[in-house]
Amino acid sequence: MEQLQLQFPSSDFSLLALILLLPLVGAFVNGVFGKRLGNQGVRAMALTAVGGSFLLCLVAFAMLVAAPHGHGHTATRFTWNAWRWFTIDGGTSAVPLDVAFSIDPLSGVMMLVVTGIGFLIHLYSTAYMKADPGYYRFFAYLNLFIFSMLVLVLGDNLAVLFVGWEGVGLCSYLLIGFWFNDEKKSSAGKKAFIANRIGDFGLLVAMAMLVYYAGTLRFSTLEESHASLGQMRQLWPIAGLELPSWLIPTEPIRASVPTLVALALFVGCIGKSAQLPLYVWLPDAMAGPTPVSALIHAATMVTAGIYLVARTSFIFVQSPFAMAVVAGIGALTAVFAATIAFAQTDLKKVLAYSTISQLGYMFIGVGSGAFAAGFFHVLTHAFFKGCLFLCAGSVIHAMHHVIHDEEQSQDMRKMGGLRKHMPITHATFLISCLAIAGCPMTSGFFSKDEVLFKAFSSQIITAQKGLWVAPAWYGQAIYALGVIGAVCTAFYMFRAYFLTFWGEFRGWTIVKQAKKAHGHHAHDAHHEGEPLRGQAPHESPWQMTLPLAVLAVFALFGGLVYAEPLHLTALERFWHPVFATASTHVVERAGAHGMMLPLLFVGAAIFAVGTGAAYVVYVVKNGQPAAAFVSAMPGLHRIVRDKWRIDELYQATILGFFDALGETAVAMDKWLIDGVIARATAGIVQVFGAILRLLQTGRVQVYAASMVLGTAGIAWFALAPHATAELDSSKLRSNGELIFTAAPGHGYAYRWAEGDAAMPSEFGSKAVFTTQVDRCATKTVRLEVKNVFGSTTETKFTPCREMGNNCCARIAPSPQASTTQPVKVAPVEGSR
Amino acid sequence: MSLMSLIPALLAGAVAAAMPREAKAKYRLSLALMSFFLIASITWLWPSAAAPATTADAPPPAEWPYLLDVLIGLPILAGLFVLFLPRQMPGLLRGFTYAVFAVSFCASLMLLAVPMTAGWHFQHIVPWIEAAGIRWHVATDGMSVWLIVLTTFTTPIAAFASFGSIKTRHKELCAAFLFLQGAMIGAFVALDLFVFYVFWELMLVPMFLLIGIWGGAEKIKASVKFFLFTMTGSVLMLGAMLYLVWTHHELTNQWSFDYLALSRVVLPDTQQPVVMSPQFLCWLAFSLAFFIKVPMWPLHTWLPDAHVQAPTGGSMVLAAVMLKLGTYGYLRFSMGLFPFRSAILAGNLGAFAIIGGILYGALCAWKQDDIKKLVAYSSVAHLGFVMLGLFGATPSGIQGAILQMVNHGLATGALFLLVGVLYDRRHTREVSEFGGIAKVMPVYTVLFIIVTMASIGVPGTNGFVGEFMVIAGTFVSKRLAQFGAIEAVGAAFGVILAAVYMLGMVQKVFFGPLSNPKNKNLQDITPREVLAVAPLVIMIFVIGLFPSLLLDRMRPAVETYQAQFVRLFTDTPDTPLAARLLPKEQFAPSFLVGAPDFAANVDAPVAARAPIEAQAPMAARPPIEAKAAGGAQGDRTGGGRPSRADAMRDPRVRVTATTGGAQ
Repeated sequence: MEQLQLQFPSSDFSLLALILLLPLVGAFVNGVFGKRLGNQGVRAMALTAVGGSFLLCLVAFAMLVAAPHGHGHTATRFTWNAWRWFTIDGGTSAVPLDVAFSIDPLSGVMMLVVTGIGFLIHLYSTAYMKADPGYYRFFAYLNLFIFSMLVLVLGDNLAVLFVGWEGVGLCSYLLIGFWFNDEKKSSAGKKAFIANRIGDFGLLVAMAMLVYYAGTLRFSTLEESHASLGQMRQLWPIAGLELPSWLIPTEPIRASVPTLVALALFVGCIGKSAQLPLYVWLPDAMAGPTPVSALIHAATMVTAGIYLVARTSFIFVQSPFAMAVVAGIGALTAVFAATIAFAQTDLKKVLAYSTISQLGYMFIGVGSGAFAAGFFHVLTHAFFKGCLFLCAGSVIHAMHHVIHDEEQSQDMRKMGGLRKHMPITHATFLISCLAIAGCPMTSGFFSKDEVLFKAFSSQIITAQKGLWVAPAWYGQAIYALGVIGAVCTAFYMFRAYFLTFWGEFRGWTIVKQAKKAHGHHAHDAHHEGEPLRGQAPHESPWQMTLPLAVLAVFALFGGLVYAEPLHLTALERFWHPVFATASTHVVERAGAHGMMLPLLFVGAAIFAVGTGAAYVVYVVKNGQPAAAFVSAMPGLHRIVRDKWRIDELYQATILGFFDALGETAVAMDKWLIDGVIARATAGIVQVFGAILRLLQTGRVQVYAASMVLGTAGIAWFALAPHATAELDSSKLRSNGELIFTAAPGHGYAYRWAEGDAAMPSEFGSKAVFTTQVDRCATKTVRLEVKNVFGSTTETKFTPCREMGNNCCARIAPSPQASTTQPVKVAPVEGSR
Repeated sequence: MSLMSLIPALLAGAVAAAMPREAKAKYRLSLALMSFFLIASITWLWPSAAAPATTADAPPPAEWPYLLDVLIGLPILAGLFVLFLPRQMPGLLRGFTYAVFAVSFCASLMLLAVPMTAGWHFQHIVPWIEAAGIRWHVATDGMSVWLIVLTTFTTPIAAFASFGSIKTRHKELCAAFLFLQGAMIGAFVALDLFVFYVFWELMLVPMFLLIGIWGGAEKIKASVKFFLFTMTGSVLMLGAMLYLVWTHHELTNQWSFDYLALSRVVLPDTQQPVVMSPQFLCWLAFSLAFFIKVPMWPLHTWLPDAHVQAPTGGSMVLAAVMLKLGTYGYLRFSMGLFPFRSAILAGNLGAFAIIGGILYGALCAWKQDDIKKLVAYSSVAHLGFVMLGLFGATPSGIQGAILQMVNHGLATGALFLLVGVLYDRRHTREVSEFGGIAKVMPVYTVLFIIVTMASIGVPGTNGFVGEFMVIAGTFVSKRLAQFGAIEAVGAAFGVILAAVYMLGMVQKVFFGPLSNPKNKNLQDITPREVLAVAPLVIMIFVIGLFPSLLLDRMRPAVETYQAQFVRLFTDTPDTPLAARLLPKEQFAPSFLVGAPDFAANVDAPVAARAPIEAQAPMAARPPIEAKAAGGAQGDRTGGGRPSRADAMRDPRVRVTATTGGAQ
């Protein structure tokens, strides 16, 4: 250990490089050379990469535990700075963004979960995907996912976390649409990516805000300087924007910076962790292979949102409003998703909605300030939900041998009685079911009850004045919703369990040796409505059952690391430094003291009621009450079965809106913009061209006529008299003398007059005229010109003598005369 | 730091390994060379942080002043030379073209060999038309150097791709590409407005030919539309240029087209956002030319048409480099010559870039049926990001914008290349004609998805870094003031739409059942095509992971430029009433290096001519009167409306009174 610590000092912990590199190399080798390596090679590569990474994670984790805790409140942190990514200019200073990774107690545990469960699921997949032609592709994606998830977890700053955050989204996209030949599956992948992108939008905005307000994206630095964020910002009305009066509120809407940052971060969490209203992608994501659902859409990726909230807990707790939003959304999602799970018949869909619901519980935890408890639920959920999904995969694997249709093979109505045929799967499924339903002493019981207890008993306080604080009843309301959701969970999970494993097998007629079990005949027969025949469904190979067993053990006993009722709080103590800053904002609500034991009984009662009801309905009465309920309220059942038609609602509103917007934009582009800028201008040019073309007839007569007309015009201009004069104002300023010199012309004769005096009777040849102008005064001088034909024209000049004090402007405020030139000469239209 | 050299090596190896087994040795060798070259250049470029410390004492490597002349002149002369080569030997024509491009590319890498400190590099000034003060003045700095490298990097790829898909008139094709490259580089490095204008117009010609000769069904219409749109802006710009030059002459009694000299001229303007002031009109004329080129809404409609009709190589150059001349032009000329105007309109223009560019472009792209048209509209959206970064005018925003220019060049260039691959096989680009082709073209699909991810800005690829820098720069921008936050949010919203339209297209083309029987036997991407797209794909990752390679070299230039920009417009708090000349102290010393030297006679003649009484205090006047009094400011720097200023100085004021009529 000492050797290791010497080799990998905490400030340059390059062991992380190896942990990260192994899955990346695995992905690279499998992706590029996989086709040539063959399945054996791919398997070896993938398992080595993730297994090796897991072992290294264990080493790193051991070092983390062994590291001395001498820093008081700050958590032990091993950092590895790979390289400077780029530098950005924040509000006040440059913000360097490094490609840096670190582990602390929180990310250390998450890293173990990712690689540990990741390895189990890799192992499971080697058997599950055995017959798939895209074997190498699958493992390349899967390894890439492990890499991205590790980047997410280990990222030392928000930017690196974001790399992983989008990376897992990308892998999720690729893996959901793994069987891309199926239109539905690939569009499910697209839907997941886009829903996640909506979340990423929030994260991007949050990063921009942190760059501006905090000047850093490093978690450790952010935590040290978290108090500096506490300023208020006006949201509405925007200063400087001219608004109609009805849009201006009496009181400007303001929010604190932590609230804004936390809410923006939470938008990201909503997308990634499938909460209301962005949860819709997760059920569709079940289109991917089942190991993917277990790894990405249950155990690891979808919990990234909770990880992010826990990671930035010090920001969230500064805003009671944001915390209330987190807890509230979590509670609503927990109940809402649970209701949908009641009516699903697809085993994976039940598990998917259950995952959404459980993620809601985790948000209740972190939103109530119980970061350790909330994140502990991430851990236990990874065990039992991972196990449940893998069990489902095992069942589907067995069903798939005869029923080739995807949807049919996942339909619980086709299953039943599988506990006899698949004992290991059955046992592990049961254990996980007990855990998720909250059977006392299982992991799920401890984590869920801790979350609910903390939601009931905690309160977020803030030193800052003027911030919204959640009312006292809020925690209880969250608790009540949580209890309702928990009862539902116990019920629908055991419904699924009983439907799948109890009763009679309903998939096909079991025969001893069915020749038609494989191949296309069975498929065809199914379409024709004949009853299927086939061998008894069989247990899966060891590669699949071993992960089930391991996960089931953890699901059963994993709770003991943080079982507050039993006073086992190892994990909580381990994590305490991470949440130390945040926990100063969390206090126990008045009157909640001593409620732990009573609430513990409530927790046990939840399990008893939910499970008991499921037992009565689906075993004792063999599903009669459920059928009766459906026939009594067919409308309600249909709408619940159709997932409350939220997808359709989105389709009609948001998507429809953007669709219309897009169509409008295209039409505008084509008709308005192109119409005005291109067609209209071209049209104008064409019109002029058409007119001018009329002149270009090619007939000499027309040309000659236009030549004559043109010549006449020029001649007319030349012969008409033009009374213009040049002014010499060089002496104007000094002695007021102004000299006019009339323009010469053929046979011109001139006569001049000042002011209103009459013109001299005779025209003379005097082209130069001198006059005196007083200071700051105008003078009118008229000039009449007669040409050789005797026609005359007259022009009036009114120069002004400016003395540098702008006096001319005051005398003659007309626009033309208002200029302040030293000499102002205002020509007046000439008159005959 | 072994990891740094490892990752590009891995990627290069991936491309080499991904080639089908039947790939010829020729292609494998090219790829191996390319990988080697890449690794070498990256390790060479890398130690940017460590280098100044070690070489601080040693003098910086000498800059060969003729390098830029070579970069411009070589392709143009070679283009001329190609015209004299025999048409019957296409191999010789192509080989010659490749050789010239290779030399150009290596020469452009030499630009990176010097430390890119603030100020001009490789400056070369030769008097040209002295009577009009026109000089051959070329230089590069940290902002333009990357665009030069982008040009020399993508044009050969475009030419290479074109020789694959175009079978006719190779001689003219070679000449067109060579001319194009020379003209584009010329426009990037010209610091004399006249020279800039010459290259700005010159590059239209080869592109006009590319579209008009080797284009699609409506090639003539598209090429004419392209030409006319761009030309309109150019002519407006020319007018403004002449006005500026004339004003400069009024102020200094010297003719000069020099960018550096003209930067000192402040045209009269007022604080109002839209006003018929000389500065506004000149700014508008310049900016319109650039906005058309970018293109910004609503002047963008030439772009989809041009892209759809252009051949693959033409589209690549058009998207990768030519559009960048619009953004670069705005950065260099609109912001440099009219800082006050660019600053006070920034908030409004930012909204334009977001609504008209990022959001509108994305919505239009989403609704396109033609893949190439979709990519064209995505360019409108991406360049909205670039423009937003420039409008925000923060160091990050500008750096992000320049990086995004390069990124867009790589990603969109690669997209056009890949679309061209599909078009060569099926002679259609309709989305509905495809579906499920991932099954028959797996390697192609992988490449396409990688490039798509770069285009929508997934971190790890280059798109993210630029977008994030622009968004963060927008958020902190003081130019956009209280709108900064909202515009940052609007821009961030664009990343959602990017995913929507790109993934929607990818899904329709590549995934789903392989329904169209015509696609059953599509050939996967050939080694030759891989060779063309590989450099782009590699650079996507290199820039995504090591953006500092670029950013470190542009930072000094951008920071100096940005600081100068802020200083120039904040220094004119009261509205300048008349055109005047900024003192040299306002500028970064490195900026004015190479400006025409006529400091001696700047002040004297003007001061002598100005009437003494007319020195009324400027600030005391109310703005409206001041506006009317535009030209009358007889202060020592001279008059504003040059016509009146002229009249004022002339001892004999010429008055022409028109007559109503004769007789």
